[in-house]
Amino acid sequence: MSLTTAERAPGAAARASRGLWRDALRRLLRNGPALAGLFFISLFVAAAILAPVLAPYGPLEGELSGRLQPPSAAHLMGTDLQGRDEWTRILYGARVSLQVGVISVLMAVLMGGLIGSAAGALGGRVDNVLMRVVDVLLAVPGILLAIGIVAWLDRGLPQIMLAVAVTNSPIFARILRGSLLANREMDYVIAARSIGASRLRILTRHLLPNSLTALIVAATLALATAIIDVAGLGFLGLGPPDPRTPEWGTMLTDATKFLRQAPYLIFFPGAAIVISAIGFNLLGDGLRESLDPRLKK
Amino acid sequence: MIKYIIRRLLSTIPVLFGLSIILFAFIHLLPGDPVAALLGQHATPELTVRIRELLGLDQPLWQQYLGYLGQLSRGDLGKSIINNRPVIDEFLIRFPGTIELTIAALILAVGLGIPLGRYAARHPQQLGDGVVTIISLLGISIPIFVLGLTLQYILSVQLKLLPTSGRLDPRIDIPTVTNFMLVDTLLAGDTGAFVDALRHLVLPAIALGSIPLAIITRITRASVLDVSNEDYVRTARAKGLTERRVDSRHIMRNAWLPVVTVIGLQVGGLLAGAVITETVFSWNGVGRWVVEAIQDHDYFVVQSSILIFALIFLVVNLVVDVGYAFLNPRIRYS
Amino acid sequence: MALLSVEDLVVRFRTHEGTIHAVNGVSFELEEGERLGLVGESGCGKSVTNLAIIRLLPKPAGRIEGGRVRFDGQDLMALDEADIRDLRGREIAMIFQDPMTSLNPVLTIEEQMVETIQAHRKVGRDEARARAIELLETVGIAQAAERLRNFPHQFSGGMRQRVMIAMALALHPKLLIADEPTTALDVTIQAQVLELLRELTESSGTALILITHDLGVVAGMTQRINVMYAGYVVEMAPTGELFAHPSHPYTVGLLHSVPRVDEREGEELIPIEGRPPDMRQLPAGCAFAPRCAWRLERCWVENPPLRPLVEGTPIVTTGPQASHLIACHNPPTPDEAASGRPTRPGFSPAPAPPGLIDELSPRSNGVPGGLADLVEAIEAIEGPLSAFPSAAGLPLPPAEEGPDGER
Repeated sequence: MSLTTAERAPGAAARASRGLWRDALRRLLRNGPALAGLFFISLFVAAAILAPVLAPYGPLEGELSGRLQPPSAAHLMGTDLQGRDEWTRILYGARVSLQVGVISVLMAVLMGGLIGSAAGALGGRVDNVLMRVVDVLLAVPGILLAIGIVAWLDRGLPQIMLAVAVTNSPIFARILRGSLLANREMDYVIAARSIGASRLRILTRHLLPNSLTALIVAATLALATAIIDVAGLGFLGLGPPDPRTPEWGTMLTDATKFLRQAPYLIFFPGAAIVISAIGFNLLGDGLRESLDPRLKK
Repeated sequence: MIKYIIRRLLSTIPVLFGLSIILFAFIHLLPGDPVAALLGQHATPELTVRIRELLGLDQPLWQQYLGYLGQLSRGDLGKSIINNRPVIDEFLIRFPGTIELTIAALILAVGLGIPLGRYAARHPQQLGDGVVTIISLLGISIPIFVLGLTLQYILSVQLKLLPTSGRLDPRIDIPTVTNFMLVDTLLAGDTGAFVDALRHLVLPAIALGSIPLAIITRITRASVLDVSNEDYVRTARAKGLTERRVDSRHIMRNAWLPVVTVIGLQVGGLLAGAVITETVFSWNGVGRWVVEAIQDHDYFVVQSSILIFALIFLVVNLVVDVGYAFLNPRIRYS
Repeated sequence: MALLSVEDLVVRFRTHEGTIHAVNGVSFELEEGERLGLVGESGCGKSVTNLAIIRLLPKPAGRIEGGRVRFDGQDLMALDEADIRDLRGREIAMIFQDPMTSLNPVLTIEEQMVETIQAHRKVGRDEARARAIELLETVGIAQAAERLRNFPHQFSGGMRQRVMIAMALALHPKLLIADEPTTALDVTIQAQVLELLRELTESSGTALILITHDLGVVAGMTQRINVMYAGYVVEMAPTGELFAHPSHPYTVGLLHSVPRVDEREGEELIPIEGRPPDMRQLPAGCAFAPRCAWRLERCWVENPPLRPLVEGTPIVTTGPQASHLIACHNPPTPDEAASGRPTRPGFSPAPAPPGLIDELSPRSNGVPGGLADLVEAIEAIEGPLSAFPSAAGLPLPPAEEGPDGER
């Protein structure tokens, strides 16, 4: 047998796993709710990306004389407390939510993943200490942690991203750690080690890809949470520092003051948040079902 | 079993320590000077120094931390920078409000969630299951503030069925004994006030409980479905036991376990959600207080409140873990 | 009259991917106190048949779609839910394969045994408990009174199965169905548990249906054997007769694929070629045809009925004089059965009609069909393999050069 055979084994494994992806994709496309989720997500993403094209007005454009108008032909969703077109602000608000949401989750995956990988790969005392840190993070209930961080570091988009990222990172730490611990003792790892593959190589080419499916599912669901968290921070007055920036949560705070006169101002941002969250939740569930190898039948 | 409890207790301590250090650092590593921010335009150099001394902010950090720990051990949580009243007192006045709200939401979530989950599991893939799944999905996708505002608008403003905010009609005057509205109104013998307190509780409890309800429903459904397919359920039926017995002793006894764990985790979510719910409904509780404190830069309040919240959360989780060990013999005897 | 009579039982499962024809017209009978073995590979319908008898098929997918089951004179399909529940555990008991997962992990053994007893008899807790202790002692568990308070995970595998047997026999059932009772146990424990099963059923006169894929297990335990394949009974005979004169190609294949102590040296193991059939699409002809070395053209189109081996003899369904029945158009001769291959001159298995897969066809590189998948998988990693077999009968990589030009 040639020396490079074991090296080529990942190739075969890669080919096999490509089959897994194709199979999963097929199952996903047959999953009704997941497709609905994808549809909602695409609405959200389209709104964010195409905002300048789809919006009839500018997001800051408005006159006080035209404030708090109910939905009409000129203003599909009415005008807000400063006379700005609500539909326009919803579209631009999608940008903020998408941007902050995606970056936060990516940061959470990185931070949580690094901690979890270190804990799982190194084990022992490192594992203990790192998991204690994660426990401390988890001990403070979600939104409070985010509030604390934003309050600590002052308002600002990067701070919001950090806050939401930190709040959502424990789950990724757990996933990576769990996956590494479970796979460390598996036969194929021992086999790879026996032919001298370095630990890093084993980590990157064998162990990490196995955690991929759980990560993808968790990340999708975390996006739903992130969008809600960002809006929550905005609602509590801890959103983007420039009060004129359209952000769904902040728009809701403003709307609260005019609950009786202009109830529609609550409905539209609320619906936008809910639709986006439903989209990611449905997709996440669909991904979980189609990527679970046990359910292969 | 005792060993298990002790072990769990011991593992809680480092977490609390870590948290206290972080919170402590929180104040002292803040950008800007809290004292200056506090005094605003009144900040003269001498005044600033005096206030610093008073607050002990001029000592070396480690000394301050030790002093802080000493304070905590005496139950002294510092004083609110805003109104100079002891944090612990202010906390205790508002805490029952949050507890009342949280318990009401929990009762709703568990009381509805478990039966719904069981029902969905017994009729899988049918209409009832579909409806339950949709409710679940909406529950976790609708943020508390959206649900709260919507409920407020429909049921309160439009239909005028329930009050909009607060804990009690401001015109009702009840002596505050425990600060639990439901208890105080009963103690005062005023059933009208009791009903009023209940009515004020409805909307916030629904808003707060919606997410735990969705999650508990889901986990119950999944757990019952999983257990129903286990071999020992088949054995139970093969022994000729009635469906009722199979359900209660074999299915539910085992299905409870993951549900109990999830309920424990949800308590943390409830405490966090209380912050938002209290803001939406102007509910006089700790959550709203903390948010205001953050906006007012009242740092000792924030620090101590978060620490207490964390403590509660950890204790609840400890209780849940012990409860779980009690229910699951495999852990009890290992 | 026979204790149990199964007539033309048909069971199907409706799933997302189609209907599974799990049992296709199975008939057999059982006398009181008789011990019957049901043998076959996984998926052949042996377990499903018995679940159907006590109406414990997984709902809603599993459905009995034909046939009748009579027990002690009663038509079991016609009973209502309460009556069949009364029968379960009391008259017909069943034990399952994996004793760890078959016992409720959160209840003590005492609770599980007492509930069985109290479900069918009006007795107080103390009386039921005393009976439980008695039963545990009968199955050989020491310190029974203390062990009652243990949980399933505190017992070893063999002891758990003994507990299951004790629970099953608690109410003196007339029939005990044992579904692969020893498959999950260590070999040494297997023998003990089987011996226990035999002793207890003999002494109490309980009829036994023993389900297994292992011919060795039924050899010492049963009086008669049914061999099942793809939801059909393909051979039925008293135990001794079956081993002495195996007559269905599948049975012959089973006997030759397992090493035996009394074999002559140098005799090879002959695996049964091919894969088990897809139970969603059974052919019109004999289900075993694709893998059968004795098949005729007829076998591809006509499913053989279960008939006496010696034509014209009257059919005796139970007892030591039970008839030897097989379902085959071209049964092996005694010599062929002994050697494991068709030996009549000039005979070769009939080729498959267009559209049907022949599991026996050799691949182009000279590797017999059954190993083709394995070769493909290896080739994907190693590169092309040589067609010349090694001494072990397996293909070797090409001797001269490795795929990268290395040796």
